[in-house]
Amino acid sequence: MVNDQEIIDGCARHERKAQQMLYDKYSRFLLGICLRYASDKAEAEDILQDSFLKIYFSIKDFSGTGSFAGWLRKVAVNTAITHYHKNLKHRYHIEIEEYVSVETGVSSFEEDLFTSDELHKVLNELPAGYKMVFNLYAVEGYKHKEIAEMLGIDTNTSKSQYSRAKAVLREKLEKLSRLKKRYEDDEKR
Amino acid sequence: MNVDELFRNKLEYSEIAPAEAIRSNLMKKLGRKEFLRFNPSRFNIFYLGGAVATVIIGTILLTSGPVRNVNPENISPLVGKIISDSGSDKAETNLPPAEKVVPEITGREKPAVKRAESKSGEVKARPDLQIKKDVLPSSRQASSKSDSLVKKSIIKDNPGNPDSYSLKQKTSAGFEVSSLSGCSPFKVKFNNRSFAYDSCKWTFGDGGYSTEKNPVWIFDREGEYKVTLKVFGENKTEVTSSSLITVHPRPVARFEIEPENPAIPDDEVQFHNYSENAVRFRWEFGDGKISDIFEPVHKYTQYSKYNVRLIVWSDFGCPDSLLIKNAFSGSGYKIEFPNAFIPNSSGPTGGSYSNKSDEAAQVFHPVATAVTEYQLKIFSKTGILIFESNDLSIGWDGYNKGQLCEPGVYIWKVRGKFKNGEPFVKMGDVTLIKN
Repeated sequence: MVNDQEIIDGCARHERKAQQMLYDKYSRFLLGICLRYASDKAEAEDILQDSFLKIYFSIKDFSGTGSFAGWLRKVAVNTAITHYHKNLKHRYHIEIEEYVSVETGVSSFEEDLFTSDELHKVLNELPAGYKMVFNLYAVEGYKHKEIAEMLGIDTNTSKSQYSRAKAVLREKLEKLSRLKKRYEDDEKR
Repeated sequence: MNVDELFRNKLEYSEIAPAEAIRSNLMKKLGRKEFLRFNPSRFNIFYLGGAVATVIIGTILLTSGPVRNVNPENISPLVGKIISDSGSDKAETNLPPAEKVVPEITGREKPAVKRAESKSGEVKARPDLQIKKDVLPSSRQASSKSDSLVKKSIIKDNPGNPDSYSLKQKTSAGFEVSSLSGCSPFKVKFNNRSFAYDSCKWTFGDGGYSTEKNPVWIFDREGEYKVTLKVFGENKTEVTSSSLITVHPRPVARFEIEPENPAIPDDEVQFHNYSENAVRFRWEFGDGKISDIFEPVHKYTQYSKYNVRLIVWSDFGCPDSLLIKNAFSGSGYKIEFPNAFIPNSSGPTGGSYSNKSDEAAQVFHPVATAVTEYQLKIFSKTGILIFESNDLSIGWDGYNKGQLCEPGVYIWKVRGKFKNGEPFVKMGDVTLIKN
């Protein structure tokens, strides 16, 4: 396996071989990211291709500071956000009702209770805007102020969407975990 | 672990394999994009071919004079592309840089030097050309080499007649465009730089064509259009040259206001954004304030007529805008009058009213919200002022100077102001019905 620096240098010179190696090494990782921001695999693959094109043409901007994977991730997330803005439709009326009980306690989940597929599915049940905010805050680790700038919303909107998204996700996961436990019990009998 | 950690742990580094076809699809797109950009840092066969061709052609011209009429401008479209800055897609013209490279040779006449007939262009002791000669093994070899190299590198412009090497100027095709990409509708000017042709035909890739020399074309819809210029020389030669024009879609600015009739300035106004294909926004609320977020909420500080404008930009910077003039038609405050009433026949009541009197419709008065100034006048059909009130709680009891007025139609006029400062003036008629 060739090391990253050689791949980066080759790509900066637009060498096809280096570009292919970059794809082979990182496409699975980047598709995992794109999938979180898309509603299905096909859309994620679109975002993936756009991301790679951006990467190939801006790789000379990678200064070498910080991790390469981190830089790739950033490009993919930004491409996903551009894609999201392009597809904005009647977003206004999709609001999560206030009556969702926001538990103040910390409910705890075992790590192996859910597969990543199940988590993807649950995430997809959120309205698009909430999903974006939750992804950017909880998984990518951006701050609300940064998220607000990236998405073109208010910082307060980001905060409230995040907490509502979290509450909904928690409720769904609890339901899901109860279902799973019940199946396990049934199977044991 | 809590919800955040759960998602982060499981998804942050989750890996999923893309479909097989994605890889080849991507490489194809990549190849296309790279070719169009002609980044000088990219080392490829075209660059190499073009560079060698330039050197060789330049040498041949210097050494052999007018015989070798391989007009450098034949080469120049390609050369121009290579040398020009890859930069952005905008305003890339194919020729002007080239003219910097081989400026003089075009016009150069070498009348006295008559070694004309030697096809190979042997160099005879011309001191200033010695240096060039060193570049190539011999001019003779160079000539045939250049022929095939020329063929290879001008492949876009001169696909026909590789072997016929006439003494006359060769038919060649090439053109400039005012810009390679833009927002729809996109107007492009085409500049024909071909040589030695009798007629030409342009095909614009969207179904349109032209036989003008330098046409102007408007591309209506977004897309990528391959524009081809075909020139016809003598002996039925046809040469073509193409270029790709990219037309970016325009976004659509669209918005609605909620509530439809807000009370300005008391109510907060919510702006709903239904724009399409837009990534950047600019709202102008009409009171001098602006916003650039997706869906702003705005409160006006005084009552007035406001024109609201939304400007949006697409990913590529194409703009669109929507202006709603006098966006807030009413203030939401109302004053309304009935069209008939039945006065109490037992005598004038002074005009005050209550729910009880309203059930019997005995007093003529309006229903209104938030009125701060008020003046009501009642006129007979002949225009005589019969009643006047500046008090909202005093209506008309149907009497004039103690006498019950005749049944029939009377005119009312009201003027005043709502509490937000919005003025109102209304008039209508009311029928007095006999009890």
